[in-house]
Amino acid sequence: MSDPTEQGADGSGDWAVEARGLGKKYRRGWALRDVSFRVPAGRICALVGPNGAGKSTFLGSATRLVRPTAGTLELFGVPVTDPAVLSRFAFLAQDKPLYKRFSVADTLRMGRELNPDWDQAAAERIVRSGDIDRNAKIGTLSGGQRTRVAFALAFGKRPQLLMLDEPMADLDPLARHELSGLLLAEAAEHGTTVIMASHVLPELEDMCDFLLVLTGGRLRMAGDTDALLPAHTLVTGATQDGALPRELAAACTVVENRVSGRQFTALVRTETPGARLPDGPWETVPPGLEDVLLGYLRAADAPPLITAAARPETHLEAA
Amino acid sequence: MSALTVTRKTADASARTGGGLLHGLPWLVWRRNRTAFLLLAAVTVVVCAYCLYHRAGVLDFVAKYANDSRYAEKFDEAYKPVFDKLYALSLLPPLLGLFLGAPLIAGEQEHGTVRLITTQSVARTRWISATVLLPLLVVLVCTTLMSLAFTALWSPADRLVNYGDWLGGTIFDITGPVPVAMALLLTSCGIAVGMLIRRVVPAMVVSLVISVGTSVAWGWLRVHLTSPRTRTGPASGDFPAIPDSAINHDQWLGTSDGHLLGYGTCVDAKKEAACLADKDIVHKIIEFFTRDQMPVMQWRGTAVLLTLTVLVVAFIVQWTRRRPL
Repeated sequence: MSDPTEQGADGSGDWAVEARGLGKKYRRGWALRDVSFRVPAGRICALVGPNGAGKSTFLGSATRLVRPTAGTLELFGVPVTDPAVLSRFAFLAQDKPLYKRFSVADTLRMGRELNPDWDQAAAERIVRSGDIDRNAKIGTLSGGQRTRVAFALAFGKRPQLLMLDEPMADLDPLARHELSGLLLAEAAEHGTTVIMASHVLPELEDMCDFLLVLTGGRLRMAGDTDALLPAHTLVTGATQDGALPRELAAACTVVENRVSGRQFTALVRTETPGARLPDGPWETVPPGLEDVLLGYLRAADAPPLITAAARPETHLEAA
Repeated sequence: MSALTVTRKTADASARTGGGLLHGLPWLVWRRNRTAFLLLAAVTVVVCAYCLYHRAGVLDFVAKYANDSRYAEKFDEAYKPVFDKLYALSLLPPLLGLFLGAPLIAGEQEHGTVRLITTQSVARTRWISATVLLPLLVVLVCTTLMSLAFTALWSPADRLVNYGDWLGGTIFDITGPVPVAMALLLTSCGIAVGMLIRRVVPAMVVSLVISVGTSVAWGWLRVHLTSPRTRTGPASGDFPAIPDSAINHDQWLGTSDGHLLGYGTCVDAKKEAACLADKDIVHKIIEFFTRDQMPVMQWRGTAVLLTLTVLVVAFIVQWTRRRPL
């Protein structure tokens, strides 16, 4: 706690992740461009977007596996360019890479040998509760068991931030349920911030209280799920001259509008939370998280929504 | 009190990390390459034992007869099978490059474990240094032992083995410092190639090509490591004689204005004397290497190989420092 980076003068310790203008350019173009946001510590955060949206590139930048082309990225106030950041996070890649010829005990020993804050008891507990033989070779384990060992390795590291890339993708429903329970329990017990990437939101919806949405390498939405949802309304009604009624379009930001025949369905958002839409010949429905997400994913040119909690302070504001 | 705490802390730490001599990265490198290291150690033990076992017989032979090319045929009858087997030692450096070097990092990249290992609390530079240098250290120790054992077997009978030819056969490459340097170079080349190709099997194929290329280049370099001794005689006579133990390298015909012509220039001519006179050839020159030049040549060659090794290893470390694997 005496570590000055942990509680900086500007309160940087309150932020698990802080990205400013983060970008990564590959030969074929920008995989991640001008991404700025922050995630408060202690949250369970979903990182959502279609395939190729830049989720893995972002996680790569945060885990020092990808070198960003532009911008800065800090985890708990430590820039990712500093190797000291390595002990702050744990990362579970999509294919959960583990040495196949290592036994479970060897794998845990590896964690112990390479991480100064290793918690052997926690790691052993996670493995034991899955009823996995310590002497079994990793190569002989089932997908769920392997994921459990990978979880044990990740939690044994005692990370402040746990990043997972498609953690549940290759698991059967039973293992998925069991491991998400384990993940939430461990995260809650140690106050770990979690970032989970997925292209399937329902998989994460119940677990997360913070949302980051990427499409085409750009940040489309960031903020508390509690704050993101009430700002949106799903409006259906009759079109005027084949388009959205003018007074509705003037009162709010239209994220997405679909017209079929004389009927329109629009996802709109009001800039001030709680503001009411004008009454008119249309019906309003509060949208589900997935409706909002799909709206943003389909309408690539909709203005991004980044709530105050997720917006990094600019230097002007900080001054 | 504080001493007690310290003791308890150390005890806790050792209990926590469990048994074994190795900890941290060295443990990981050992655990990852256990099979290869044990196999290499077994080969080392077998080769050393075999060499030392036959050394007694070789010493007896030399004591009974002499270390002199006159007895080479007799020696060959008795010991040719032994040395023929040991010439296989020249295959060790390419094999190390292929089976230890090439998969070392490529295997991690192919199976994705490089993302596991570089996200533990150990900086990438430290990881790559341990991953590359510790296997090279094992190679250094094992090949040094094997080279010492074979050199101990060969040197008492250096005029007898392979009829005293230490240059043309494989003896030059498997005695003294040469096999050690060659093994280090080919292993580090294998590691670098694997790192760049990121696939085990293609990396092994390329390592094989590199081994063949190195062997061709080395064959050329070997006789250029020092200048051969020369003897010059008149064109009218035969080529001058060289010492018994020397190795004939090349023969030339010298003209009066100092040019060298291939020794076959006048072989086909009907009248050699006329041909020689016609081409203004006045000298017959022979180039040869003597046994005392061997250490100089070996150490110079070793210096070249080790310099290349250092460059390759520096390249590997620098490459991983500059960009993630």
